[in-house]
This record gives sequence, structure tokens and C-alpha cells, in this order.
Amino acid sequence: MSLIAPATTTAADRTRPVAEAPAIETVGLGKSYGHSRALADLDLRINRGEVYGYLGPNGAGKTTTIRLLLGLHRRSEGKARIFGIDAWEDPVAAHRRLAYVSGEPFLWPALTGAETFEFLSRLRGGDDPAYRAELIERFKLDPDKKVRALSKGNRQKVLLIAALAARPDLLVLDEPTSGLDPLMEVAFRAAIAEARERGQTVFLSSHILSEVEALCDRVGILSGGRLVDQGTLGQLRHLSAHTVEATFDGPTPKLPPLDGVRVEDSPEGTLRCEVSGPIQPLLKALADLPVVALTSREPSLEEIFLHHYDHGAGGDGGD
Amino acid sequence: MAATRALARRAFADGRTRTLSFAAFFAVMALIQVVGYERSYPTHAGRVEFARVWGDDVVVRIFYGVPHDLLSTGGYVAWRIGGTLAIFAAVWGVFAAVRALRAEEDAGRAELLLAAPIARGTLFGGAILGVVGGAAVLWAASWAGLLAGGLAAGGSAYLALALAAVALAFVAVGAVVSQLAPTRRLALGAGMAAMLVALILRIVADTAGSLAWMRWATPLGWAEELRPFTGPRPAVLLLFAAWTVALLALAAAIARRRDVGTGVLSTPDTEAPRLGLLGSSGGQALRGEYGTLLGWAAGIGLFAMVVGLLADTFEPRALSHSIRESIHRVGGASLTTPTGALGFYFLIFVFAIGLFACGQVSAARHEEAASRLETLFALPLSRRRWLLERLGLAVAAALGLALLAAVLAWAAALASGTHVSLPRLLEAGLNCLPSAVLFLGIATLAFALVPRGTALVAYGLISVLFCWYLFGAILGAPAWTLDLSPYQHVGLVPAQGLKVPEALAMLAGGCLAALIGLRAFAHRDLLGD
Repeated sequence: MSLIAPATTTAADRTRPVAEAPAIETVGLGKSYGHSRALADLDLRINRGEVYGYLGPNGAGKTTTIRLLLGLHRRSEGKARIFGIDAWEDPVAAHRRLAYVSGEPFLWPALTGAETFEFLSRLRGGDDPAYRAELIERFKLDPDKKVRALSKGNRQKVLLIAALAARPDLLVLDEPTSGLDPLMEVAFRAAIAEARERGQTVFLSSHILSEVEALCDRVGILSGGRLVDQGTLGQLRHLSAHTVEATFDGPTPKLPPLDGVRVEDSPEGTLRCEVSGPIQPLLKALADLPVVALTSREPSLEEIFLHHYDHGAGGDGGD
Repeated sequence: MAATRALARRAFADGRTRTLSFAAFFAVMALIQVVGYERSYPTHAGRVEFARVWGDDVVVRIFYGVPHDLLSTGGYVAWRIGGTLAIFAAVWGVFAAVRALRAEEDAGRAELLLAAPIARGTLFGGAILGVVGGAAVLWAASWAGLLAGGLAAGGSAYLALALAAVALAFVAVGAVVSQLAPTRRLALGAGMAAMLVALILRIVADTAGSLAWMRWATPLGWAEELRPFTGPRPAVLLLFAAWTVALLALAAAIARRRDVGTGVLSTPDTEAPRLGLLGSSGGQALRGEYGTLLGWAAGIGLFAMVVGLLADTFEPRALSHSIRESIHRVGGASLTTPTGALGFYFLIFVFAIGLFACGQVSAARHEEAASRLETLFALPLSRRRWLLERLGLAVAAALGLALLAAVLAWAAALASGTHVSLPRLLEAGLNCLPSAVLFLGIATLAFALVPRGTALVAYGLISVLFCWYLFGAILGAPAWTLDLSPYQHVGLVPAQGLKVPEALAMLAGGCLAALIGLRAFAHRDLLGD
């Protein structure tokens, strides 16, 4: 299913020096709540310094994955390691190296932003005060306002600034921008780019596809509790269909059936088709027709995502 | 009209666990008082003796008010539950109204509902109607308890109505403070403060003969003046009606005029950072619980002063055999000396501090229910450490409250010319801790194993075991069943000595339960609301 070979684990894993371990590694990870299966058979290997996009529709199991990674919920089967450390067994050691931004910013309503930063950073054992001040400026947050009086987006900024200012080796972000306005989205992307330059690893769960497309080195697509596809954007595109659109001088002509070409509903005078595999046969068929314009483009992440969502939801996993 | 009904049903359903718990408590207390009196004092002579000893006693009036007829079951029961259950009815009223009004605004649900074609008045009226339904349940439950004991239907309904009237009067108080305070916590604090003022007015009126007129200044006094079973004065219900309608109208008027989600009084949204106590999760918990602690300290401190001032009002009397026996049943202390009286009344602190401990575990559960633990536990902070710090805070605060009670009772007794030994009273304070630690441990275990049932298990268990200790003997329960209650093994210090082996056993039991709880909590999924 995935393009990257699943990580193999051996008995030596437990003793493997933490210095070499990948940032995130799961093997056969699964979780059931009562009779409902939230996540099954998840194999992930995210290397240090990578920015990994974790995509999936609502309820696909993204937050469950994060809760298992952080050791907030107990896995039903499989393994999950952060820098070689099992966060369920030793949460304190694992959490020293990461910072987490939850999708819903759960904070203490009576504390102000500044007090929240102080509290979180002291529990963590310190952060970078200069960078924190810079982030407060860039995200335009009033740190003296009580959390109670902040909107959802502003509360999210508090968590985000606290996480970024900690400069952790790993940032685990669960839909961190769902409440941010477009200006703040720009500030967020800049901060993630900085984190990447500093060699930090980022695990970004999101359903904002443009954000993932802009930021991530590698993408995993989750559907119905299973990872249905994984790879770099280039790899995902390579396997998916190209979209070819032709415009004609006159009515749309009839095309003979071709292998690997699926004709879609298109307005009169145009032809839109999905091509998987070689494009040659389609070009030959079009050569004799009155084509006035021809475009071919790689699929957007949205199209890849929708492809899996439509065909892979609840199924037993992609390819 | 359909909208009002739907809103009322929602408000009723939201409060049903609390309402049903109170209703069960009211029904059982009503039944116990009827049965207990008739079993303990079957003869006229016994009742006359009882009335002679207790009829003029000032300290018992703190709890029950002024008795008007201790020779009939109805008169006795009206005195006993009319006084104490009225306090519980008032607490229920404040909580129910704040839950239905201010908590809904706090959670943002009121905004959602008002965006629908629903007028502000409808929202307010629907919520109040649902709470009134809860008060009706309390009324029916009390009535049923009295009927089950065999009291007359009419008189019982009227006595139950006295309780329901108090509940509604404080629903109205809760409705007003919900308009004034900007948060649920502040509204509850203001409502409970109002309740405390009403209670103190009633206590002063009942204990200082020259100030009896003050009974007319508080709904808790009006409830006494309804005089169920002892020359009823239904006209006093008009006072209740006027109070309740006036306050509800005021609250409705404010609700129509103010911005949704805000209070008439507001706390500043912006302030300079105060960084104290933010170095650890325990310190931050102390910041969060600061208001609650102050409230408890005020309540316990006030009560300790009252108990200390009145410690000397017991006079040696020729007690009949049956009275001595009934005193013996509740612990064997002699009530006729100041230390004897204090030993008996410190039981209230033993129970109250146990309740405080349960409340601290409930507060911990509240942090989890609000999902804030997801934020905390993603930090390098272990669950064990977090819970241990919270439990440490609870024990330290419980110790502080217990010593406060001891010192203030001593000082107040001294001020009124009664000399009681301070070390003995400090021992009485320490005596509050073992059972509190036991219930803290049990509540921790409940928090770990049945998180959503934490409050129900903790408060339910402590209340049942305390009531069983108080009333089990009167009901003639076999001795071994009485021994099941930890309170049976608490010494009545300073009248008796500290029961050291029992105290150590309770401390050990509490620590063991807490340790199992700590372990279980470290190994379970975090559970939201």
C-alpha cells in the first residue's frame, strides 16, 4: 500500500540508541473503542527533519493516531515510538522532545495568554523567550487578555505560540489552523518553514489541502481508520491520473474507447478526461481532430484526496 | 409554547442527576425521622422527657430551628427536617438555577438557542419552568417519604411544600445572580453567599431570643413560620410567592436587556500577568481552587465560631435513662460539658472536611472533562505526578481547614468565657483528617475507574455512610451493619480521645485506595465530558 516500505521492527528496537531512531515510528498500530474500530494496522515512519502531512476526512482517525502517539490513549495493538521512546510507557521522556497543538484549544479560562505561556513553559522546563516574543508579535496576540475572553482562533494562537517557542525536536499539530484567518495562516506557514530550516520534524494533521501541499515533504492519507496512501506529492501524483482537457473548433467529437482513459462530463465543445498510464494513445486519437487548445496537468492533492475518499473510504486500503 | 416546553424539558433533563439525588435524600430523611422518633420515643413520658431536655437547647436550634411541639410525630418531624432539609433545598435552588441559566451562557449554548426564532423571555421562562419541575420532584419525594412513615397526607403535603417553597425562593436568587455574575463559578459563589446570609439570619433569630423578629427577614425563617403540623400559617406562603415572583421578574427584566454571554457585573478581560504559583501543576491548581478554598474557609470558620460561642450553653441536667441511651448511641460522649458538646459538634467538621476532599477530586475530574489534561499531558509531566500534586493540595487544604476550625472554636469559646484546652481542640481538628483521607482515596479510585461517575460515587458514598452512622442506630439496625460506616470509628474528640488504631487504619485505607487509583489512572484513556 505505501510507497515507502513499512518499517520493520526487531527485538533490537527497544535497545536501539535513541539518537538513531526516526522521529515517529508506528508498526501495526490500532485502536478500538468498545466495538468501534478507530484505527487499524498503521505503519508510519517519519524521519527527522521531515514535514509530514497527515490527511483524512473528519472521523478518519487522525486525532486517534496523535493520542496514541502521545500516549494519551492506550493502543489496542501494535507499536508507537517517538524518537525510539514508547510514549505510553514513558510519557515524560517522550514529551520532552515534542510539543503538541490540539485541534480544540483546551486552556485555563482564568489565566491570561502570558500566564499560560509561563505555566506551559515552566512545566516543560523552558522555552525561547525571544522567539516567543517575536511570535506574539507576528501572530498579533494580546498576551494580557484572559483566555476566557479570546476567540477560538486566538486561543489556538496561544497554544501554537507556546509550542513553537519551545523549539521542540518534534511538533505534533492537529488541525492547528482551523480557527486562523488567512493572514495568520501566512504567519503559520512561515513559522513551519523556519522549523524545517532548523531541522525540526513536523507532523501536521490537517484537512486544509493547500496548506499540506505548500508545506509538506511527504503525505499520508487516512480513510476509515486506515492509511490508504503515502508518499511524496510527486509519488502520489505519479500513480494517479493526469487530467487532460481539449477544446475543439465546433462540437465535441466522439472518441473511440481507449485503455486507461476515462472521459468525464464536459461542456459542449470541450473534452475532459482522466488518463492513467501512457498518454500516447489519447494524443494519437486527438491528432486528427480540430483541437484549438490542449492542457494537461498533474492532479491536485485535492483530486488525489477525493479519489481516495470516494473509492477508499471504509475499504481495506488503497492500492 | 412548543419552544418553551422543549426548553423546559431540556433544563429539567440537564439537572436530573442532581435533582434525583436530592429527591432520594429528602425522601429517605423524611422517612427516617418519622420512624426514628416513633421507635425511640414510643411513650408519652419519653417524649415529655425528650422535650424537656432538648426543647430549650440553643445549640440544636442552629441546625433545626425552634421546636413548637415535640410531643407529636408531626411536630417533631417538622422541626427536624424543616430546619435541615430547608438548607439543602436552598442549596439545590441556587445550583439548579445557575446550571440552567448562567452555565448555559458560559458554554455558549444560550447564544446558539437565541439565534433560533426564540425570544430572550422564552429562553429564560423555559429554563425556569424546567427548574420548577425539579422543585416539584423534591416536593413529591418529601411528601412520599413522610407518607411512607405514616404521617397524615394533608399535613405531610404542607410540610413538603415548605421545603419546595424554600427551593423556589432560592431558584429565584440563583436566577438573579446568574444575571449579575459573568461566569458560572462567580454566580454560584454569589448564590451560596446569599444562602449563607439567609442561614445566619435564621440562626441568630432562633438562638438569641430578643432577635426572634429577624426570622421574618429570611426565607429560611419563613419556612419555620409556616409551622407545619403545629398550627399551620399558610398565609406565610404569600411572602414566598411575593419574593419568588419579584426576584424572577427582576431577573427576566435584566435578561431581556443585557448582552448574551455577559453579566451586569464584569471582571476585567485584560490584566497584567501574575506569574506566582505557575511553576508546577499543583501550584496552578491552587490558583484555580483559590476561590473555592476561601469559600470553605469562610463557611467552616463561621460555623466554628458559632459552635465555640455556644459550647457552654449545655447545662448539667438530670437526664433520663432513655436520653442517656440515645446520646450513647451517637457516640457515647457526654453533652453536658463544653468539651462534650464540642466533641459532638466537631463531627460536623469531620463530615464537612470529608466533603471538601471529595470536592477536590471532582475538581480534578473537571479538568479532565474539559479536556485540559490533553494539553497538560502532552508536556513532559507524568499523570502520577499531576494527580499526586492535586491530592497533596487537597490534604494540605483539608489540614488547614481542620486547624482553622479548631483555633476559631477555641478562640470563640474563650471569648464567651469558656475555657477549653487548645491542644485538645487541635487534636479535634486533626481528628477530621483520617476519614477525609479515606474518602479522598476512595474518590481517587472512583476517578481512576469510573471517571464520569466520580462525583456521584464520592459524594453518594460519603453521604450514605454518614447518614447511616447518624440514623442507623435509631432505626434499630444490627451493630455490625453500623460498624460498616467509618464514622462509627471516629472518636468524638475532644470529649473522647483520638482513636489512634482506627485513625491509622483509615489513613492506610485512604492511601492504599489512592495508590491503586494513581496506578489505574496512569493506565487508562483520558475521557472527555
